[in-house]
Amino acid sequence: MAWDPEILATSVQNGDDEQTVALVKQALQEGVPAMSILDEALVPGIQHLGDLFKDGEVFLPEVLIACRAMDRGVGELKPHLAAGDTHRKGRIVLGTVEGDLHDIGKNIVRIMLECGGFEVVDLGVDVPATTFVDAVRQHSPDILGMSALLTISMTNMPEVIDALDKAGLRDRVKVMIGGAPITREYADQIGAEGFAEDCASAVQEAEKLAAR
Amino acid sequence: MTESTRQRFLDICRFKRTGDLCLLAPWLNDFWMETPEVWVNRGAPAELRDSRSLRAYFEFDHIRVLREIQTGLFMDKRLQVLDRTYVYAIPPILPTYETRKLSEDEHTITLVNEGGQVVRIDKRDPQKMPMYLDHPVKDRATWQEYKKRLSPNDPARFPADWQSYVERMNAKDEPLLLNVGSFFGFLREWMGLEPLLFALHDDPGLIEDMMDTLCEMEVSCLTRALQDIRADGAMFWEDMAFKSGPLISPRMFRQFMMPRYRVITDMLRSKGIDIIFVDSDGGLNQLIPLWLESGINFFWPLECAAGNDAVELRKKYGKDVILGGNIDKRALLKDKSAIRNEVLSKVPYLLETGGYFPSVDHFVPPDVPFENFVYLINSLREVAGLPPLKRTLE
Repeated sequence: MAWDPEILATSVQNGDDEQTVALVKQALQEGVPAMSILDEALVPGIQHLGDLFKDGEVFLPEVLIACRAMDRGVGELKPHLAAGDTHRKGRIVLGTVEGDLHDIGKNIVRIMLECGGFEVVDLGVDVPATTFVDAVRQHSPDILGMSALLTISMTNMPEVIDALDKAGLRDRVKVMIGGAPITREYADQIGAEGFAEDCASAVQEAEKLAAR
Repeated sequence: MTESTRQRFLDICRFKRTGDLCLLAPWLNDFWMETPEVWVNRGAPAELRDSRSLRAYFEFDHIRVLREIQTGLFMDKRLQVLDRTYVYAIPPILPTYETRKLSEDEHTITLVNEGGQVVRIDKRDPQKMPMYLDHPVKDRATWQEYKKRLSPNDPARFPADWQSYVERMNAKDEPLLLNVGSFFGFLREWMGLEPLLFALHDDPGLIEDMMDTLCEMEVSCLTRALQDIRADGAMFWEDMAFKSGPLISPRMFRQFMMPRYRVITDMLRSKGIDIIFVDSDGGLNQLIPLWLESGINFFWPLECAAGNDAVELRKKYGKDVILGGNIDKRALLKDKSAIRNEVLSKVPYLLETGGYFPSVDHFVPPDVPFENFVYLINSLREVAGLPPLKRTLE
């Protein structure tokens, strides 16, 4: 069967990891360049699913299994790709702010970003400002993403921005925030460049910020 | 003689009584553990530290969840961490796990709790939500072991002094709710969210068995309880949505949850219980029609930040839904004007149309100033034509 990126993209969307791996192997055997497999099939497949998720047409389990299929497909490609090819869109340091142990939203965003071509350094939950600052210094990300579910913890977001400022790192990273109580107005108020209305919007927002 | 809270509750639920402000507590009108302490430390009356006094201060109407019948989430467990108490809730497993410390450092203790979860607790603030590191159910083998703790026949599911308990409960003039439990929520407690979401796809048979086990335990215990207890409603807990909507698809809801809900709600209705409550955070707009089809009709907390709008729900579903909550906690962080606007934008309409129990759209967090909460309650009372709280007039 001739190389058909749509079939592979559909396989990713269906979360069929075995078929995804088989199709990637087959394409490589047929001499399809690894970058073409990534760019023409795997990435469009997961991006389409992300759009469906954003529109409420598919749900988290479908996204998770599609990301797993994508991940396994990329695993087959890795020996054929240059370092960094799978994370070409940028690097993001991500965490839930101090005082908040909710990680569902943050984890979904991480999964969506990784599938969307970002390298994610996940700092976990209850992350103090100093840890965010240290991570920015260590990893030089394009974006720092902060999540909060609680009104009482969202007030730690401007403290992180202040800490970045004091450490002389504020100009080196864009800040993106999200979470149930967060609004665009709040992002503007605290000086965050990016705001993700929901998990599904995070990838598009990150792409916009990384492209700036 | 004033009418009993129970009768008011029933009449409001059945749209026979409109305009009545019934501030149910605990649960609907409730607080984070640390909220009263923060308020008292900032000058509020010291009596607020005591939960009964707190409810009395705000003149809340008492509702009772029959947590002594161990079928739901309310098996409160307490663990002493240094000089402070760590309080948490676990699903209804019997026996519970033996608490076991795994490690400790300067600021945290990692332990297996009575629910079998591995949690890391912050010693500086044990009340803070713990970090969940591991869960007891990972696959079919671990489930086979775990399910032994879900027998409906364990005598410990019921109070030892059953007859005395029945007499005391049946004599109450307050609404009594059966503690039905959960399908999605319990499975998440047992497996963790991501493993559960994978398992829904990878091993549906395992999920079916877990839900069937729960369903059989619930029906068996509640049927037995209802031979003696008079209950006015039943309560599910799910927490199965995030800001954008449900954590699983409507298709999965129909496949896995709806048939088991129906078994329980049909049994309840056959016993005359038609007020069936579910607590779920997050955006519920896609879930409400599914729950209605499943026989569940009372929804709380209707978080505003997740797009829930009680006025729209009332217009859309009419008397098919009983609503609670939906007063935006973010307004309480602002000022009196914001609180008043929030109340006036929805509460008069909702009280007048009936079937509504006002509350903040989840437990009141400690960053809400005491004065703002008092102002909220007095604003609600004003809308209902009631005088301000007695204690705030002193």
